[in-house]
Amino acid sequence: MTAVTRRPTLPARALLAGVLLLLVGGLVITLAAVLLLPPLVDFLAANTPLVRFAVAALVLLLITIPVAFIVIYMELKVIARMNLRVGPDRVGPFGAAQSVVHGLKVLAKEDFTPFGVDVAVYTLAPVAVFLTTLMTILVVPFAPGLYGQDFNIGLLYVFAIGGLNVVGLMMAGWGSFNKYSLLGALRAAAQAISYEIPLALAVVGVIILAGTMSLNSIVEQQAGTVFDWNLWRQPLGLVIFFIAAIAEANRTPLDMTEADQELVAGFATEYSGMRFGFFFFAEYVNVFVVSCLVTVLFFGGWNAPFDWPFPVAIDLDPAGYEAWLAFLLVAGPIVGTVALAALLRFFVDWMRWPGALLIAFLLVNLLAVGALVGLAFVTFDWVVGLTWMMVKSFAFVFTFVWLRATLPRVRVDQLMGVAWKWLLPAALVNIFVTAAAVVLVWG
Amino acid sequence: MEGIWYVVGFIVAGISFIFLVIALSWLISHRTKGSRAKGLPYESGIDTYGDTHGRFGVSYYMYALLFVAFDIEVVFIFLWAIVFRDLLMGGIVSMGIFIAILMLGLAYAWRKGVLTWR
Repeated sequence: MTAVTRRPTLPARALLAGVLLLLVGGLVITLAAVLLLPPLVDFLAANTPLVRFAVAALVLLLITIPVAFIVIYMELKVIARMNLRVGPDRVGPFGAAQSVVHGLKVLAKEDFTPFGVDVAVYTLAPVAVFLTTLMTILVVPFAPGLYGQDFNIGLLYVFAIGGLNVVGLMMAGWGSFNKYSLLGALRAAAQAISYEIPLALAVVGVIILAGTMSLNSIVEQQAGTVFDWNLWRQPLGLVIFFIAAIAEANRTPLDMTEADQELVAGFATEYSGMRFGFFFFAEYVNVFVVSCLVTVLFFGGWNAPFDWPFPVAIDLDPAGYEAWLAFLLVAGPIVGTVALAALLRFFVDWMRWPGALLIAFLLVNLLAVGALVGLAFVTFDWVVGLTWMMVKSFAFVFTFVWLRATLPRVRVDQLMGVAWKWLLPAALVNIFVTAAAVVLVWG
Repeated sequence: MEGIWYVVGFIVAGISFIFLVIALSWLISHRTKGSRAKGLPYESGIDTYGDTHGRFGVSYYMYALLFVAFDIEVVFIFLWAIVFRDLLMGGIVSMGIFIAILMLGLAYAWRKGVLTWR
């Protein structure tokens, strides 16, 4: 062996760079924090609505990313199991990181603008499509007091924004220099506007019962047990709303807009890279939003299906713990780190002790900070409400995936016929039956 | 009034989010100028000919016209539904007349075959 000075390995170099960055960055950040934080905190304290908006916007924007990944993973795995396949099982536990890899792949793909397209319209189309989906999340009540904004015209806002979706699809089809895109967009527009009507008319019964369009009030009005949900008072409305919602979210069996086999993906034919990705990002988020709406309108939103028999009150008094508090503070992180590291070491094949300890340390810190922040800011109502809301919503996301795995695509003439000849009259009948019932009961 | 600022602010935040992601994608993806063949529209392997924004079926317009009529109807019905508790029987009668007129229009369109996809 000749004495060759070996260059440090890549992880070592990365670590070195990281440490240097941490030292310099830490100094700069500390200085900046000392100098800038007090006036900043004063400013924010004086403008709490601004802070609320910033937090709400940030959370609602960022929540779309994990939601889309979960829906894509469900799509891959659930359909695979229904087809008696295994589905993704390589990346992450049970292949759960597969959708993240898909997302990163689309992000890293070349974003190519073909010849002959109207560049401005072509670029703004995915923005318009995704924005309409984002805007709808703004009014969804996730838990008592946990929502972007509560409008008194909430439902009307949802349908107004949902109608704008058509504009984005038409922009995509018209902006692309492609006949398939144009035909796909025209079909998409025809389908979306046809199903918009039954979708909106199906909830009139709910509005009559609630006497308001605010989504929060509609949920509050369904408080109680399972039997207080609108599901029992509006069964026909629920069926119509759900069918129309499938069409609005462009899901199989009513997905004439994409129709991969007939229109080579319809309006998205000419798109590539992230601009293409946003159409499908929007679709998956839309599935979630529509599921949330079904839950809010007909399944009691964040209300639990039964009265919780055990009253829960979190009443922490750290000073009362005396010596135990010191023990908790000192021993807790150490024991937690070692325990987590041991778990990682023995259940993850490629994990070795140093790495396991490092990751466990980071995780424990994250958990501790999360628990502290949670205890400080999150009320128990939020946790319970959010849990029920998510359980119900993802049950409907599952139903959407299930439908896709089970049913073939319907023919375009049948699709349009059902909207105008069956759903629309049925929705009108539903309105009058509800109105008559209300007159009989309250009149 | 606070609500409208949420909508405006959310539009701004949403658009900046989308363009940030597109910019990130632009930074990390590879870019080529591409050849002429690469930029051609994909129409299942056949060279495109004629005008892309050509003629298409009139039935799309028919659906759009029906949509406009019924969507405005929806706005009226929503407002009627909110105040329905104060109207009760009178509300049903007046809304019945309103919808009957609209249904006449739908029946006419149905009879004319507009609702049948061709």
